[in-house]
Amino acid sequence: MTTVLETDGLTKRFGELTAVDDVSLAIQDEGVTSIIGPNGAGKTTFYNLLTGVLEPTEGTIHLREGDDLVEITDAPTHEVARRGLSRSYQITNVFEGLTIRENLQVARISHDGRTMDLRSRAASDGPINEEVDRLLDLMGLTEMADRPCDALSHGEKRSVEIALALAIEPTVFLLDEPTAGMNSTEAREIVSLVQQLDDDLAATFVVTEHNMDVVRDVSDRIVVLAEGAVLADGTPGEVLTDERVTEAYLGSEAV
Amino acid sequence: MSTGEEGIADRIGAFGHEAVRNGWTTERFALLGLLGLVLVAFGPTFQVYLFTEFMIIALFALAFNLLYGYTGLLSFGHAMFFAGGSYGMAMVLRDLTPHVADVVGSGIAPLVTFGLGAVAGVLLVLLIAIPVGWLSVRLEEIYFALITLAFGMLVFSVIIQNPGGLTNGTDGIIVTLGITEIAGIEFRLGDRQTYYFLTAAVVLPSVYAIWRVVTSPFGTVCKAIRESPDRAAALGVDVTYHRWMTFVVSAAFVGVAGVLMAGLANVASPYHAHWTTSAIPVVATVIGGATFFAGPIVGAFVFLYVRWGISRFPALEAHWELFFGLMLIGVVLYFKQGAAGGLLMLRGWLLDVRGAYDRGGTDAAVAYARESASARLGRTGGPSETEGGERE
Repeated sequence: MTTVLETDGLTKRFGELTAVDDVSLAIQDEGVTSIIGPNGAGKTTFYNLLTGVLEPTEGTIHLREGDDLVEITDAPTHEVARRGLSRSYQITNVFEGLTIRENLQVARISHDGRTMDLRSRAASDGPINEEVDRLLDLMGLTEMADRPCDALSHGEKRSVEIALALAIEPTVFLLDEPTAGMNSTEAREIVSLVQQLDDDLAATFVVTEHNMDVVRDVSDRIVVLAEGAVLADGTPGEVLTDERVTEAYLGSEAV
Repeated sequence: MSTGEEGIADRIGAFGHEAVRNGWTTERFALLGLLGLVLVAFGPTFQVYLFTEFMIIALFALAFNLLYGYTGLLSFGHAMFFAGGSYGMAMVLRDLTPHVADVVGSGIAPLVTFGLGAVAGVLLVLLIAIPVGWLSVRLEEIYFALITLAFGMLVFSVIIQNPGGLTNGTDGIIVTLGITEIAGIEFRLGDRQTYYFLTAAVVLPSVYAIWRVVTSPFGTVCKAIRESPDRAAALGVDVTYHRWMTFVVSAAFVGVAGVLMAGLANVASPYHAHWTTSAIPVVATVIGGATFFAGPIVGAFVFLYVRWGISRFPALEAHWELFFGLMLIGVVLYFKQGAAGGLLMLRGWLLDVRGAYDRGGTDAAVAYARESASARLGRTGGPSETEGGERE
């Protein structure tokens, strides 16, 4: 077991409000880790700190790169992504006006460091499109590859989004509420997809999720955030029977 | 008599049918286009002038759209690069012509100086675009439009101030292209026809270069940034840097257009730097359609030829902007993707009319045309698109 992502005393304050409060976590490369918590627990802020969208008030973030843990605390979003931290969004965020194929080409161009390449043609470039075809095949998108994303269903966009995040060959893949807006059948499909990808790929998966059935099915480890701090951390069996956790959830529902 | 008319109508119909369905390969289009370009050169002098201006404005708008339609940044100060090109050219011609003549001989000097002026114009543009772009791309949307507008007006003011006697204030710098003599053959670069060919020889490769930019990996990333900058960043794209580079590439091509304009207008005028000049590519792109590569070209064509058409009626000429405004409203209301989108819709509609003709003869075609036209006036959705799609 090696640590791939580590936060130490990570804190984010917005004026009086402490959104993330002294979070020290080490994510290991084995199994899927879920980060759960009631609304307003600081899950999305935590992701935004990890991916460089927000700058932490205090604390550090380290990411595995080869044999070393590299500090990415103050790195901008694009640098964090290049170092191997990829994410999906709660509200699907794909390049709507482009086709699925073009979406994936963008990710591969970025991964290959060829964003300043003016001489080749994106549509017919060998190295880029070989990988794009492989990803399309992996996600079952080959048939609809040339459709523009704004013509896709919610579930299809979710697949494109996962393919996009995988295309940059991440060390750690943060999924933000992957089953949001899905029915239970679609949610189950996502669970088995994430488990399969976690087995097949080198990437380590971290998931935030509201749906408790999904959390129970997908996770090997659960971290509970409440009011910005870590409330519980352990296996699903330990965490979901923890009284403090039920209290935090019931408490939030009572309000 | 009626049979003769039908014969012609049939032949035109069959030709059009053939053309849009299968016959017109890219090569044939290109060849026909080149032939048309050569033919224009032998038209009346004013038409040659007008078409030269059209090519320059088309390049201006196309380069502008690299930043607007492709990257999602609306610049309202691109006139500073247009003027940068024309002033770079004009200053070199004014100050260096005698020195160049000393070095290369007076025969070929005007041509060589023109080439040097073009290089100087583009370099001057880069000198402005690199810092201005670096500052401007930190902002987005309306703030980006406003900061580019501000920089544009700053450049305009500097030109008017005539720093060190360089820009000659409000009068601008007169551009004299002179008489070139190569191997005993004399020609005037400023001759309308010669300048027309020179412009075509610069604009056509520039258009091709811009086409290569938008289809390259670089251009694909531009489109991604337009769609979702935060998504692009989360995939490892340095969005600010990429916007900056696009800004500089766009400005450089605008500079080329500015260089050509100085030679055509025979003056580098402060008007080239005025914000109303910045509006030209914006209007041309909106009319033509920002989502199509050729949109700005179509828009520039409509812009210049409608203005010319209106100017032929002296009573209307004073109010040509009014008619232009009405046309702009019409385009925005009825053609969501501009004139280029309109042309594609027209193509689909013609195919549908032809389809109706194939099934039910002239009556059916006329009935279909009347029906779809009245449907179009009633609502703004395109009947041809949906119905054409269903059949195929």
